[in-house]
Amino acid sequence: MASISLSNVQKSYANGHAVIRDANLEVGMNEFCVFLGPSGCGKSTLLRMIAGLESITDGALRIDGDLMNDIEPAKRKVAMVFQNYALYPHMSVYENMAFGLRQAKIDNATIDTKVRRTAAALQLDGLLERRPAALSGGQRQRVAIGRAIVREPGVFLFDEPLSNLDAALRVQTRIEIARLHREFRRASAIYVTHDQIEAMALADKIVLLHAGANMEKHGSIAQIGAPLDLYHRPRSRFVAGFIGSPQMNFLPASVKSIGEKGVEVELESGERVLAHVDGGKVRVGARVTLGVRPEHLGLPASQPGEQTIRCAVRLVERMGEHSYVHLDGGVSAGNPMIAKLPGDGGVARDDRIALTVAPHACHVFDEQDFALPRLH
Amino acid sequence: MNQKRRFPRVGIPLLALVWLAVTTVPFIFMVASSFKSQEETFATSVWAPPSHLYFGNYAAVLEGPFFTYFRNSLFVVAVSVLLIVVISAMAAYVFARMRFTLNKTLFGLVVAGMIVPLHATLVPIYLLTRNLGLYDTPFALFGPYVALSLPVSIFILTEFMRQIPRELEEAAQLDGCSPFAIFWRIFFPLSGPGLATVAIFNGIGLWNEFIFAYMLTSSSDHRTLPLAIWDFQGQYASNIPSMLAVLVLTSLPLIVAYAFGQERVIKGMMAGSLKG
Repeated sequence: MASISLSNVQKSYANGHAVIRDANLEVGMNEFCVFLGPSGCGKSTLLRMIAGLESITDGALRIDGDLMNDIEPAKRKVAMVFQNYALYPHMSVYENMAFGLRQAKIDNATIDTKVRRTAAALQLDGLLERRPAALSGGQRQRVAIGRAIVREPGVFLFDEPLSNLDAALRVQTRIEIARLHREFRRASAIYVTHDQIEAMALADKIVLLHAGANMEKHGSIAQIGAPLDLYHRPRSRFVAGFIGSPQMNFLPASVKSIGEKGVEVELESGERVLAHVDGGKVRVGARVTLGVRPEHLGLPASQPGEQTIRCAVRLVERMGEHSYVHLDGGVSAGNPMIAKLPGDGGVARDDRIALTVAPHACHVFDEQDFALPRLH
Repeated sequence: MNQKRRFPRVGIPLLALVWLAVTTVPFIFMVASSFKSQEETFATSVWAPPSHLYFGNYAAVLEGPFFTYFRNSLFVVAVSVLLIVVISAMAAYVFARMRFTLNKTLFGLVVAGMIVPLHATLVPIYLLTRNLGLYDTPFALFGPYVALSLPVSIFILTEFMRQIPRELEEAAQLDGCSPFAIFWRIFFPLSGPGLATVAIFNGIGLWNEFIFAYMLTSSSDHRTLPLAIWDFQGQYASNIPSMLAVLVLTSLPLIVAYAFGQERVIKGMMAGSLKG
């Protein structure tokens, strides 16, 4: 078991190009932490810095309280599962799993027990004599995971381990990884992915990372929290847009009134929408952005008092259980929107409809794109 | 369009057949004539097949010092190739994988070694060998053979090792390997086809090497096979079938080695050009 702490960690290359800025993070014992972010945000680099495969330009990395900045990878109590498995092609499955233990000069009997026990847990017992080339993608991935498990590390590091698998196998292996983490409750895990579904499904804690200009301006870490925290309480427009698929709708608006029930904003179409957010940081008349998730837009149930946004339907994508309806939000303003409606919603192209939006499902972002705190 | 496509379809196999004839016909001539008696050689056409298989030439050759030459060649070539493979693999690993300031410059200098004309080195190497007291010893040939083979071998293996995924090196680092262990336990075994290419390529070259062997050895106890051909040529100046028997026996080990290693050589040659 191990905990990891990053304090003001920075990474920049010799040409001055910064990849990681001001990364502060705590990963507790047994925690499953997922690094999520767009490509180029440095999530793999950050993982490799923890592994010791990339140097740390500044700041401190501690594992179990010990400073690890200059400690070689093998002595950091970490094991890594690589994106392309990185199995040694000239060794059998058994030798691949035993290699790290042999390097650590562990006696053969102990190695044999550990390898066979781990192989049994991963249903690899029948494959121990095979070379990696004779295995399927899923089996190779299991060997890679087994090679990490057998070393009994304090921290598992996963670098996009599912991206080379097909869709069905990806789901199956994702479940397998979650099961293994529960069963081998002796280690923390850090998992890198660009796939938010993987992140939401696996994580105890998600670390969402900024890329490019956002990273320069606000530092690498956009938000840290439990998956549903990021979904319901995004700290910024970037987080709100990144978490959720299809992404949140953003509509330009201005603050009309601020009260106990929240902030009322006026859209460009003139419609007013109440959001249950704390208006303490904005003033009446300020330019803001209203955010509504596609799944929080609904067809009116003809109840009085429901607030609605009028839209024109541009395209309907029917998925069976539900339909994605592409809209011009606020008819006169023409902002593109998308709504996730029931599959038999009876909506057709060129319809003009009004969609309900509950005040507690509305997000408001200030001029700096920071979210106003939710009231509930 | 059709005209353009027809050439590769017809022209390439045709050129291949011509080249096959160019390389095979002299070989067939050599083998066939080595089984002719001297009288038959003069009495029949040069291209006529032997009327019956005459083994007298082979018997005559094998009764001479052929096996001493053969043993010397085997020793010199085996040790030289072993040294070339190990040294060039170590150097290639450094050039392919280690980051240091002069990496590219040093690699450039090593590769530039390929353009040094061999004959320009003859006199200095002769003087150096004599001063070191190695002249006409079994060790005289190791130095020049290894040194002259290293540039091209390092070049081939560096390109080969650059293709090995970096993640394997990183996985080994996490498994606790030192840089030497990464080389010896991961890169060296994974470079098998490249190493085979280097071994076979240099093995053939050194097996046939004449000029250094001629210059740095003088007694028949230390001479290698190419000089044996020279000796037999003198001894059998007018006995063409016996000379050809020597040539057949000399080339036989290479043919056998190539027959077994052919697939590896081709794999090694292709490794740099094809991805995946």
